[in-house]
Amino acid sequence: SICTSAASEADPEQLQREQHARSVLRESFLRCLLSMTDKKVQFHMHEKVKVAATFGASDIDVLNFQVSNLHTPIGVQKEALIRCQDVISFTFDA
Amino acid sequence: MQDDWSLLGPLQWIRYVNKRVTVTAGKDEERRGWLLTVDPVSASLVLVDFREDGGTSVHVVMGHAVEEVQVLEEADEEMAERLRTSFLPSSSCSLDP
Repeated sequence: SICTSAASEADPEQLQREQHARSVLRESFLRCLLSMTDKKVQFHMHEKVKVAATFGASDIDVLNFQVSNLHTPIGVQKEALIRCQDVISFTFDA
Repeated sequence: MQDDWSLLGPLQWIRYVNKRVTVTAGKDEERRGWLLTVDPVSASLVLVDFREDGGTSVHVVMGHAVEEVQVLEEADEEMAERLRTSFLPSSSCSLDP
């Protein structure tokens, strides 16, 4: 969910500072996502479930990840979408 | 330390950048590393860990799962520079207009 501005709408300077911080943080996050493409990623899900897959892409709202060769306890799924709500964290080697 | 991580907003999140933090997530998961950035859309944290063997591990903790973020230490100049350049593309392509 895209959160709304916490800055006071009556204070344009505050809003501008917030927007700048937002853009700096987001650019850095997008570069991190870009660098993840085609890398082997370990996903830590709820109930201590761990799965590995090759990262493809994320949608802009970070709601789903598209992955390939998802190694699950019951076999390998060639292509898959992972719901981000089901993920606690994920790890990869840069 | 904070009531709800995902509601803090960019001005609060950016204060954690370049700090070494411990993040508690889910029921009993704990992650430690240098905070590179926080996605302002999903509130997810990107933690970087420079390993002794020269490799770099990246942990991304989803914003919805964050329970607590604790600051351990602040980066010096050298570490801050290392973090700044860790995901820059090799060719100079800026997203700025």
